[in-house]
Amino acid sequence: MNRLFRALQGFILPVLFLVVWEVWAVRLDNPALVPRVEAVLGVLFHPFSELIGTGTLAWNTAVSLFRVLFGFTIAVILCVPLGLCMGTSQTVFRLVNPLVELFRPLCPIAWIPFAMAFFGVTRVPQLFGVRYSDTILDSVQVGMVFIIFWGGLFPILLNTIYGVTGVRSLWIETARTLGATRRRIFRNVILPAALPAIMTGLRVGLGISWMVIIAAEMLPGSDSGIGYLIMYSYELAEMQILVASMVVIGLIGLALNRGLELVSLRVSRWQPLER
Amino acid sequence: MKNLVLNGVSRVFSGEDEREVEALFNLDIKFSAGEFVSIIGPTGCGKTTLLRLISGLEPLTSGQILIDDKLVKGLNRACTLVFQQFSLFPWFSVLGNVTFALEMKGIDKSRQHQEASALLKLVGLEGAAKARPYELSGGMQQRVAIARALAYDPEILLMDEPFGALDEKTRHKLQDVLLDIWQEKRKTILFVTHNIDEAVYLADRIVVMAAEPGRVVKDIPITLPRPRNRLSEEFTELHIRIRNLIEIPG
Ligand SMILES: Nc1ncnc2c1ncn2[C@@H]1O[C@H](COP(=O)(O)OP(=O)(O)O)[C@@H](O)[C@H]1O
Ligand SMILES: [Mg+2]
Repeated sequence: MNRLFRALQGFILPVLFLVVWEVWAVRLDNPALVPRVEAVLGVLFHPFSELIGTGTLAWNTAVSLFRVLFGFTIAVILCVPLGLCMGTSQTVFRLVNPLVELFRPLCPIAWIPFAMAFFGVTRVPQLFGVRYSDTILDSVQVGMVFIIFWGGLFPILLNTIYGVTGVRSLWIETARTLGATRRRIFRNVILPAALPAIMTGLRVGLGISWMVIIAAEMLPGSDSGIGYLIMYSYELAEMQILVASMVVIGLIGLALNRGLELVSLRVSRWQPLER
Repeated sequence: MKNLVLNGVSRVFSGEDEREVEALFNLDIKFSAGEFVSIIGPTGCGKTTLLRLISGLEPLTSGQILIDDKLVKGLNRACTLVFQQFSLFPWFSVLGNVTFALEMKGIDKSRQHQEASALLKLVGLEGAAKARPYELSGGMQQRVAIARALAYDPEILLMDEPFGALDEKTRHKLQDVLLDIWQEKRKTILFVTHNIDEAVYLADRIVVMAAEPGRVVKDIPITLPRPRNRLSEEFTELHIRIRNLIEIPG
């Protein structure tokens, strides 16, 4: 009984929220302002039906997810190695850190005008001299990738640096007295010891990359994606689509975070008991 | 067989407020191959620093360290160090910690498992190969650390209060394990401790140190027959003699 109650506890406020919302929607009776809960659910439960001429909800979600993973992957590929270098080498750190400090306060959104001016509506296939690749890449603009990249950059970079510099000197010295070479120490000590912090960086970074997708999809020339759907349904006063899109963003964000959290727990199983 | 010689070894640290700390001042010591030497002294007398200098983890301020008349530069390949703190790599299993050292030693992959198992058996942990370090008690962790150090197969084993954090019963047990290993492998062991009983029980020779500046005040050979009896008169006499030396440094 007690366990059941505890399991239900998490649902009390969300359900209450939905009830209040529904009552409010019914009393206001203006679906262009506050859509009914069932209207929103209707959109959510038909992810494969065409919406206001922009494709299906599922398609738009997939496009957004693809864009985010694209930009995020680039951020990981560039920032983890850079962070490892900055964490292990004082010289590299002193060389690069001023630039990092300078750019860090700029939120990714601040880069939108720059991205617009610089990349225009160039799409990724065009970088390779192809007008259309007939793949999902056609809906990925370079400017969007850039913004998403900036969303992931600092969390990944800073957590990686933090992870590497936080490796106990006791472990490094132990490895040295056992005759480990620098490369061995890096691979068998620094990397595994820093991995939990790096995973935290990836989790936070992916969260922010996903958050800024809305802003990235407001760039001119974008014609799909969950963020675009939000803006477009707002213009058409299709509030149930707008709210449904927001719910999707929330749920996907939750799933991404949970997914990385599971990986993270696996690689840092040793950590909680190491304090 | 390797003899270790320290000639006029000093180590000065510049403290926070520009104050200079003479952690070790002008040490001349000789350690013969196969000797079990306990190094004892109050906190801050430079015991840890001494082992770190010998292992090459830390540079000398002046003086020389020689192994068989050859000057030691950089990391000392003849030594490995068992730390006071629990130093196992928590991301490896117990077996992984030992094979790590075997791998550094260039032991063939196919032989690593067998050798690591043999070493774990030597320290009485053959059943714990798959365990993770954090699942073990402190005493078991130090056993693994010893097995890992032995895997490196050093001529000289440096141990910095390895049993300092253990309860008395475990400590006594591990002292016997260590003596068995020493008798089997015939390594030189420099064993730092601030526990007089431990020093007298283990060593062929006790080096007594004092602080400010860190120095050797007495070098006492211990000729009690082994296995030693903690309750014997000679044992107690030595205990008292060393305690007096530590409390009123000469
Ligand atoms: N890295 C260091 N920087 C500054 N002072 C140090 C450092 N390491 C040790 N010392 C000082 O050197 C002295 C000897 O320290 P240590 O070798 O740790 O002594 P023990 O192991 O005998 O307790 C102490 O006064 C300590 O404060
Ligand atoms: Mg010490």
